[in-house]
Amino acid sequence: MLYYIYDGSFDGLLTAIYDAYYNKDFPEQIVPQDSFTDNFLISKVYIRTEEEKSKKVHDAVLQKISRRAMAGIMYAYLSEDENAGISILEYLRFGFKVGRTVDSYLADDRVNNINRLVTKVAREKHLLAGIIRFRLLHNNIYYAPIEPQYNTLCLLGKHFADRMSDQIFVIHDVKRSYGVFYDKTKWFMSDIEMNKDIVLHENELFYQELWKRYFDNITIKSRINPKLQSNHMPKKYWKYLIEMK
Amino acid sequence: MNLNEKIKILSDSAKYDVSCSSSGSSRKNKKGGIGNAAPSGICHSWTPDGRCISLLKILLTNYCIYDCKYCVNRSSNDVPRAAFTIDELVNLTINFYRRNYIEGLFLSSAVCVSPDHTMELLLKSVKRLREEVNFNGYIHVKAIPGASNKLIEETGKYVDRMSVNIELPSGESLKLLAPQKTKESIIKPMGLIKSGIIQYQEEKLKFKSTPQFVPGGQSTQLIVGATKDNDLKILKLSESLYSSYKLKRVYYSAYVPVSNHPNLPAISGPPLLREHRLYQADWLLRFYGFNSGELLNEENPNFDELLDPKSGWAIRNLDKFPVEVNKADYYTLLRVPGIGVKSAQRIVQGRRVSMLDFDDLKKLGIVLKRAKYFITCKGRYFPQKSIPTNAVSIKNRLLLEDNIKNRGNIEQLSIFSLFPGIMDGEF
Repeated sequence: MLYYIYDGSFDGLLTAIYDAYYNKDFPEQIVPQDSFTDNFLISKVYIRTEEEKSKKVHDAVLQKISRRAMAGIMYAYLSEDENAGISILEYLRFGFKVGRTVDSYLADDRVNNINRLVTKVAREKHLLAGIIRFRLLHNNIYYAPIEPQYNTLCLLGKHFADRMSDQIFVIHDVKRSYGVFYDKTKWFMSDIEMNKDIVLHENELFYQELWKRYFDNITIKSRINPKLQSNHMPKKYWKYLIEMK
Repeated sequence: MNLNEKIKILSDSAKYDVSCSSSGSSRKNKKGGIGNAAPSGICHSWTPDGRCISLLKILLTNYCIYDCKYCVNRSSNDVPRAAFTIDELVNLTINFYRRNYIEGLFLSSAVCVSPDHTMELLLKSVKRLREEVNFNGYIHVKAIPGASNKLIEETGKYVDRMSVNIELPSGESLKLLAPQKTKESIIKPMGLIKSGIIQYQEEKLKFKSTPQFVPGGQSTQLIVGATKDNDLKILKLSESLYSSYKLKRVYYSAYVPVSNHPNLPAISGPPLLREHRLYQADWLLRFYGFNSGELLNEENPNFDELLDPKSGWAIRNLDKFPVEVNKADYYTLLRVPGIGVKSAQRIVQGRRVSMLDFDDLKKLGIVLKRAKYFITCKGRYFPQKSIPTNAVSIKNRLLLEDNIKNRGNIEQLSIFSLFPGIMDGEF
């Protein structure tokens, strides 16, 4: 069994794709090193990330397949699914063969596997755009902790920077220890190490109370349907929701 | 009175407005401003009744000069009253928005002092938000029936959506439950908003800088179950609102008993299933190419609560089925029970590159539970023993599967109404 092991970055994954193509390899799996567990049946190839190779794959996808395909493999990668790497390779092999019509092959497993992952990530991205909650801190920074199931935070930087263009904010992926930062001019991503306690602004709890009051009040008691509520807003996201505490 | 109490009172009376949609507008943020609109709309939370919160839905005041029998705010009702100052309202909106609690504001009001006075307050509030605070998020405002044209037109320049609630679907019902309102006073502002929107769209073609006018369109709400009006009447009304008044949405609100006036029906809970069927039919009108006459008629003026309107139509029109998935055009596919807009699009896209069979359909994410009675793939029915082809048996199968899934959700039904086939020896 041949395993390709890459550094976990998107560039690393694209480099692996490049190498598989040019070495004419058919790896069984392409996995990030962090989630790789060795056993003696596996023969390993460690991929050295090279931006030049990654860029070549990127350009080839845009040129020979489509922009949509590029976005698709990006989303699939962000799903962190254990089979994402190999699914992307198989999808691209097929895509390079049939060209821009690849996404019409909806019933083909190579396409379907990617589409399934894309749907999951896109859905979470849209949900998070709604359920991220900022708290105003004492130093006038708006801070939002969140634990997404997929690595979707990087897809939300632009959304919030456009919208909250006059406030400094941090959205913190607590699970993956990084965040999206915005300083009123541009947004960027950076690792976060929390070593201090968070101090709220003196007005923060006042608005949290008002929001909770509003939330409780707007419910129509004769239509209670908690199952419908958690279908829309799964419980795994409740931890940081002011109104669900 | 503190803000906490005001929120309680003024959100309490706003909650029966069902619209909370923030879609249809692509208003962009301005430099140094706060907020923008997302064309798809965004839900920010869901309350325990399963409804989405997108906008801060609130009344400016609940002091009302009218006495409509179905309404909690009727002047004769003994409820606590409150009013926001414009500052309070603006401050609340902005602070909720900055924390990403909401997508914008849905501002409504009881009619206080006079329609013009109320409309002026609403206009002042949205003007303050747009011009002084530089807020560019979504705003939906109610047009107050009876307010002057000038005020309504002026308000339209600042908001993304405007609505006038019709509430009662006929003149007789209005007379019975809201004698101070007339059909004309409700229809007039709707016509005004419509022509404002059309004018804006025409001018925009000539001048790119034309100021926006209600870019998210107009909507309204109808109460279901407070009067004797049947589904056919309601659906016909919606149909003409969509065609003549170019409405974006008609909302249906199952009547929640808030009063026990003798002119109102005594019901134990809101008729949720009926509301659901009307929404399904509404979708069929807007996205599936159906017209109301196909779904209901004078002999059958109400929907079968047990069966969705599309399945009902299909069973009455079995001569049009089965449909061959690989050949039927898009609009024919849309008429198959269980196949929605997304599914039909996928089928059309997928069959371009290969003939589809039932396994392929499953991979395309198409649910066959209903569809399998109405389609063939490559000339064959779904591979299952005995797919029935007559109306009574298909109906029974659909009801049976629904009932297994929703056991306990449906109001109590007699076994005979559920399985008429048992009596006919069909089962």
